[in-house]
Amino acid sequence: MSLINNKNTIRIVLICSFILLNVLLLFGLSNILEYLNSGADRSSMLHLEKESVNTYLPKVIWENSENVGRKMEPNTLKIIERDYLFSWYIKNKSLQNNKKVGIEDFYTKNARVNLYQSIDYNLKNKISIESTTIKHHPKLEFYSEDGQQVVFTDKNVVEYQKVFKDKKLITEVQDTATYKVLMLLEDGFWRVRHIQKMKPETFAKDSLKADPEFKVVGKKIKYKNTDFIIKGINYYPKNSAWDTFGESFNKDTIAKDFDIIKNANLNSIRIFIQYDDFGKADIKPEKLQKLKTLLDIAEAKNLKVMITLFDFYSDYTLESWTLTSRHAEKIVSEFRNHKAIIGWDIKNEPNLDFENRDKKNVLNWLQQMITVIKESDPNHLITIGWSNAYEATNLEDKVDFVSYHFYNAIDDFEKENSILEKATKKPVVIQEFGVPSYRGLWSWTGKNEKGQAEYHKKMQELFKKNNLAFMSWTLYDFPSVPNQVAGKWPWQKLRQKKFGFIDDKGKEKPAFLYISY
Amino acid sequence: MKKARNILFLLCALLLLAFGSTLISEKKESFELVSKSKSFIAGKSIEFEFYCKSEKEKPQLFIIHSYGKTLLDPTFEKGNYIFKLPENYSKKTGDVSWFLINSNETKNSGTFEILANDSTKTVIENYLGPRTILAGGKEFTMMVTVPTDSLDNPKKENTEVLLKHQFLQNVTNLNIKTKNFIAWYDIFSPIKSGKMLISSECDKIETKEIETEIYPNLATNFTINYSRNHEFADGNQITHFSTSIIKDSFGNTVSDGTLVTFIIKTKNNLILKTFGTTINGIASAQNLHPDHQEIFKVKAFVIGMAESNILTINYKPILSTFNYSFSKNNRTITVGPIKSFMNQLVPDGIKVVLKIFNQNTLIATLQEDTSKGLATFLLQKDFYTAKNYRFEITTLGITKKTETKNYELNK
Repeated sequence: MSLINNKNTIRIVLICSFILLNVLLLFGLSNILEYLNSGADRSSMLHLEKESVNTYLPKVIWENSENVGRKMEPNTLKIIERDYLFSWYIKNKSLQNNKKVGIEDFYTKNARVNLYQSIDYNLKNKISIESTTIKHHPKLEFYSEDGQQVVFTDKNVVEYQKVFKDKKLITEVQDTATYKVLMLLEDGFWRVRHIQKMKPETFAKDSLKADPEFKVVGKKIKYKNTDFIIKGINYYPKNSAWDTFGESFNKDTIAKDFDIIKNANLNSIRIFIQYDDFGKADIKPEKLQKLKTLLDIAEAKNLKVMITLFDFYSDYTLESWTLTSRHAEKIVSEFRNHKAIIGWDIKNEPNLDFENRDKKNVLNWLQQMITVIKESDPNHLITIGWSNAYEATNLEDKVDFVSYHFYNAIDDFEKENSILEKATKKPVVIQEFGVPSYRGLWSWTGKNEKGQAEYHKKMQELFKKNNLAFMSWTLYDFPSVPNQVAGKWPWQKLRQKKFGFIDDKGKEKPAFLYISY
Repeated sequence: MKKARNILFLLCALLLLAFGSTLISEKKESFELVSKSKSFIAGKSIEFEFYCKSEKEKPQLFIIHSYGKTLLDPTFEKGNYIFKLPENYSKKTGDVSWFLINSNETKNSGTFEILANDSTKTVIENYLGPRTILAGGKEFTMMVTVPTDSLDNPKKENTEVLLKHQFLQNVTNLNIKTKNFIAWYDIFSPIKSGKMLISSECDKIETKEIETEIYPNLATNFTINYSRNHEFADGNQITHFSTSIIKDSFGNTVSDGTLVTFIIKTKNNLILKTFGTTINGIASAQNLHPDHQEIFKVKAFVIGMAESNILTINYKPILSTFNYSFSKNNRTITVGPIKSFMNQLVPDGIKVVLKIFNQNTLIATLQEDTSKGLATFLLQKDFYTAKNYRFEITTLGITKKTETKNYELNK
């Protein structure tokens, strides 16, 4: 009672509620003002905000040839290409969602009716089709004198689609067809007036001539025709774990580390490229420059590099295929002729996404990336870094060599490895293995530094016995590890920091003796 | 014992059946395409038949069409699975890819073709542009014709289109053929300006006429003339300039509204400008007479295209001298009456400039306009406080210097 009757309590309650009321009032007013301001943006009245960047970027190669009619201006051609790709994007989107949004911006009045009917039919029959186009080879046929009409033949469009009925996947289909398109310029948009599917044409693939130094012969990786057994290590600079190409990129640090690696009798490293970090579909030139610097140092030190792409990325939907393809293509074609690269590792442990992202989705995407990378760079090998030996047979026929990661009990190693070796005809690389030297509050049973050394000693003996290719995890203990890697909790993070052969002060740990065989 | 044997037999039979049925379901069923036709006419119903040994399958046909993709379910008739293409697909032309799917696997695939329906009424879309061109045969307008069937399908390649264009007495018919959906033709401009009418015809269906305006080509050089009320530089009258009829090189009068710039150079190399726009090829412009003896050199331009001859115009002075007088302790100077060429008073508003000097330094320049032939200057006591002043009076191009006047000092 005394608490309720206490004047001070009443005062506090009154003052608090007054302040709260004011806060709410201000919040409400600001929301109203914000609402009134929305839509007043002049740029939104025009169609300025529509940018095709990073929405839909299939590969488009215009055929070099003279068209009849007016000479095409390069700038107009770009706009036509943009609007044409949008017409595909919008069509794909509407067939997926069975919605008509945006069609009127990219199809003329007469043409859009047909799409509307298709959408209505699919909606009625509960059909949904996810699709994307992978390649376009348009050839300009005609451009009118007043610049209002254009006709082109889009040759051999590669379409990939997933068909759903009642939300159940029915099938996945890839098709190649040629399209003839008439577009009109109407109120600033190039709109499709007629589009007609035609038989694909046969034309010579302008594939790049391969001149590989690394080859796979039987179960062996060969470098300049001699056996090359990968003896490597996964590498991040000590102070930029999972951020090799970040702010603290320093070529002296890397050169020093490469010397350590080379002197430890290793011949290769594995590095990681994060999808977002490198600029997604618009690769940042400065990142490419840093990658080139790293590769050049590796070449100078005679170290070979396995590059893992698409780190921290897990969107396998058809919608993003064109973007990831451009990402891979730009990086890979840039280093097509680089002598330091062994090969491209498409993705680190993609099988971890099997459950959440659907196994088929993941495998299809991987396969598509393999195709894209092979086309842009026929000189280097391709692999996928599976997280265990059992999943490593996935897409075994598509990769050049099989990679897997081994973090199980050491006694199981020989068994697991031999099962995989028997299951595949390709070379096998143990792309990651290791143990943290962490015993403490969160891990009573963990190994100490001696235990870690013991582990590596045993592993190296096993590798030596069977002449196995390996890449250990990892050179350094890291002072800090980003949350994305293992998790945000200390028991997840602390372990992850202690996998190194060299501690975070730069001192070699006992395991360093057993870094190679 | 017998009972046990029976049970065993039944069990075996059951197992066999179970096993047998799984065998059947695992067997790969093949689907054969029964329909032989690979091309169809738009708007007609399109059916696709497949044969499969098993009649209990649930195949589906996935089709990719120019305007969409869909999945079809079959009906089963006479031992065949029949897929009927929805109308919205069967009425539009193009290649159609089909994939026969059974239990999530593509069993068969292929393509067929839908062709434009020539038996329906033809519809023609015409696009003409540019809609204004210049006469003379260098520029052209492009006619683009897109003939379709009544289902809005472009006609097949090499469909004949009759293109008709008229200009004055000339009517021209041309046969052109479609390629890439369209038939097109460049129509070059005639040498006369005017309107050109264009229409097209396909399968006996005619379109409306569309017109392109043929504008006269660039102006060619022309001559100019002038007229004026009198030849005196009175600063009041107006001199009128006019051009000859400006024509292009093909004899077409230039379009109304063509801007002509008249550039006037004075004897002191000052430049004056006046403008006029043409009506029926003639542009006229005006300029005020100068207020002093002057020689104008005038040349006109259609800028960037054509120019005229040079006119030289003389303006005579309207007087040779004028009077002035001092009054009120020399504090008032009256100029005039100024008389013009017939001894009439000059029009009001003639500029008179008075320069005031003290010890040969210019102190002030005053300006007054005449009224009834007179201009009066007042020199305020409080302002002009020196002992003596000398003056220069200028009007209508004539300057007079006065003697030095003495002034009483302020008390």
